[in-house]
Amino acid sequence: MRAVPWIIKYRPRSVEDVVDQEKAKEVLVPWIKKWLSGTPPEKKAALLWGPPGVGKTSLVEAICNEYKLEKIEMNASDFRRKNDIERIALAAATKKPLPPWKGRLILLDEVDGLSPRGDEGAVAAILELIKKTKNPVVMTANDPWGQHLRPLREAALLVEFKRIPKTKARSFLLKICEEEGVHCEKEAIDYIIEKNKGDLRASINDLQAVAEAFGKVTLDLAKALLAERDRVLTPWEMLQQLFYAKYAWQARKAVTSTDLDYDTLFLWIAENVPKQYGDDPYDLWRGLEALSRASVIYGRIKRKMNWSLLPYYFNALGPGVALAKTKYHKRARWSYPERITLLAKTKEVRKIREELAAHLARLSHVSKSYAKGELIPLLSFIAQANPRYFARLALGLRLNDSMVKYLAKKNYAKVKSFIEELSVRPAEEGKKEAQEILEELKEEYQKKTKEKSNKGREAGEGLLKWLKKK
Amino acid sequence: MSAEELLWAEKYRPKSLDEIVDQEDIVRRLKKFVEEKNVPHMLFAGPPGTGKTTAALALAHDLYGERYRQYILELNASDERGIDVIRTKVKEFARSKTPPDVPFKLVILDEADNMTADAQQALRRLMEMYSATTRFILLANFPSKIIEPVQSRCVYFRFRPLPKEKVVERLEYICKKEGVECEREALEEIYNLSEGDMRRAVNILQAAAALGKVTKDAVYKAIGYVHPSKVKEILDLALNGDFTKASKLLREVMIEYGLSGLDVLKMFQKELMGGSFELPEELKVLLADYAGEVQFRLAEGADDEIQLQAFLAKLALLGPRFRGASR
Repeated sequence: MRAVPWIIKYRPRSVEDVVDQEKAKEVLVPWIKKWLSGTPPEKKAALLWGPPGVGKTSLVEAICNEYKLEKIEMNASDFRRKNDIERIALAAATKKPLPPWKGRLILLDEVDGLSPRGDEGAVAAILELIKKTKNPVVMTANDPWGQHLRPLREAALLVEFKRIPKTKARSFLLKICEEEGVHCEKEAIDYIIEKNKGDLRASINDLQAVAEAFGKVTLDLAKALLAERDRVLTPWEMLQQLFYAKYAWQARKAVTSTDLDYDTLFLWIAENVPKQYGDDPYDLWRGLEALSRASVIYGRIKRKMNWSLLPYYFNALGPGVALAKTKYHKRARWSYPERITLLAKTKEVRKIREELAAHLARLSHVSKSYAKGELIPLLSFIAQANPRYFARLALGLRLNDSMVKYLAKKNYAKVKSFIEELSVRPAEEGKKEAQEILEELKEEYQKKTKEKSNKGREAGEGLLKWLKKK
Repeated sequence: MSAEELLWAEKYRPKSLDEIVDQEDIVRRLKKFVEEKNVPHMLFAGPPGTGKTTAALALAHDLYGERYRQYILELNASDERGIDVIRTKVKEFARSKTPPDVPFKLVILDEADNMTADAQQALRRLMEMYSATTRFILLANFPSKIIEPVQSRCVYFRFRPLPKEKVVERLEYICKKEGVECEREALEEIYNLSEGDMRRAVNILQAAAALGKVTKDAVYKAIGYVHPSKVKEILDLALNGDFTKASKLLREVMIEYGLSGLDVLKMFQKELMGGSFELPEELKVLLADYAGEVQFRLAEGADDEIQLQAFLAKLALLGPRFRGASR
């Protein structure tokens, strides 16, 4: 059972407890002391920045604990809500907290989560807060280098946090193992640390996961459990991390941390590169060029079943696309890949077109692609230009109803009625012809009977004359 | 007037060798084969619409009579999924009934130059294996793309583009038969637009005739049935820097017509290098180079749309610079 998460259980109580980050401590602790001494420092805010899980928030908490400061926390993205701003602003402006607190600290987490578009108001509000505050304001960020965060960077003391060195992380994890009484292999610990690349928080979480699942931490068990345990990003998160990745590894991580299949992942990025980089022709071309190369690699993988090329695919797709930009781009309105919806929507039509192409190819002794590129457009043109003539072609080419519909489009009803008319015509024509023949026969008969009766009369008259003579 | 109509290109396809109006040398030699009732493996090479398929079918007709269809197997290399499918079909066909007085049947393999070298090697073995009962007629646009060992097993026939008079004459003949009024200069224009491709010429004629009288005007309208007008629009948008619209139209064309990336790229290439856009030579060179790269990538099995989008992005990048400069 998971009683307490170890990251909370083993969170540092004092500044000294915080693993590594000596440089950051050297800057931040004197800054806080200055606040406590009654003369606020020149910069009333500090911006702690660095990769996730290396102790930014932990150090702030440790400071609060050690110096008895009341921590007033807020996620920066909440700055859009008016009453939250007022709550924080009031706390910042009021100097005296209630005992046992000796002071206050305002913590604004994840200021890089503010979007360049739509959150300008939040940045302004934070600046205002910094200006008026009577208490230290501490901000944290993974990537503070966005153009829109510049005012915050300028108003704050910048404190950099580095990845936790392996040796420090190792001894800390071993200490936890010892206290928990869990058997841990050194190799397993190293594997966990390696995997999390200096993110101590993630390492502790991984350690706990293995320990609680198996009761001990060996290399094999760690590998078995953790290989699959990487956080799965939603497509939107993936795009955010990809397009705003500063380092190649971040971009790579973004594209390898979704559960999208390779084709769908590609479509997501292909859909949004033109949107994200669309405001600059050069970056747009570079982005698409990277995608294009990624797709060539993927084509080779699929054709030759050569999956060892997969890392190169991810490199082109992640870092290739992310680092294609030569300048900062505002977050665009990203969207679900239109191609997927379109393919689903046009599935029926595509099926008909394939059938039609195969049918025409057979009739005309040509390839299907010729039928698609030449004959279908030709028939489609005729259907628009001359529906009556097209109806005759439809009959002659034995096109079925859905093919006719596909080609005739808005003229479908017209064409259909022509087809019906043409199909019944032979019968009507035949009837008419038969009647004409009948008429002719009648005339002939009448003429003949007339002739015959004339002849008979003549013969009769002749006979009469002859008898009279007698 | 019959209620039923056919595509003219089929309706007026010569049935027997006697009816073929051009390619006299080839016809003479083929007739000789018919007389002797002996046909070697053959390779018919030449541009589209010069009568390769017609000659192959007419030969079969003259050899086997009216019911020749049952003694031929028509395959299109670009439609069959791989050499295995072709092998199976040929095997089955070889086992089927032989004609009464000719000791072999015919396999007509169109677009043979679209086969990979490996597939052609397999084809060569097929030709040997079944040569007792089947003869192959390979049709190709580019004979150089047929591998040596296959070429050397075939008697080679080179089909040349039809001369203008022959095409116009034939179009006139069709108009007369169909009772369609036509202007001579309209027919000449059809020849110019179809570049010696007879089938294409007849297709354009039929489209124009669907509008009524075949005038030059009708021909220009009819030529719009194929995509160049839309293709031109796409390119124009891109060259003016409007990638978004160009790309949207590209998707429409590809989805609406079900065209492959290669089909579209070839149309792009033709429009850009032809006279449609008055592009500076320097830009043409850059684009031709990039188009070549894109085609290579398509052949490597890359995603069609992204390749073309990259191409359009390049146009959108370079177009405004060059166009702006030339104005």
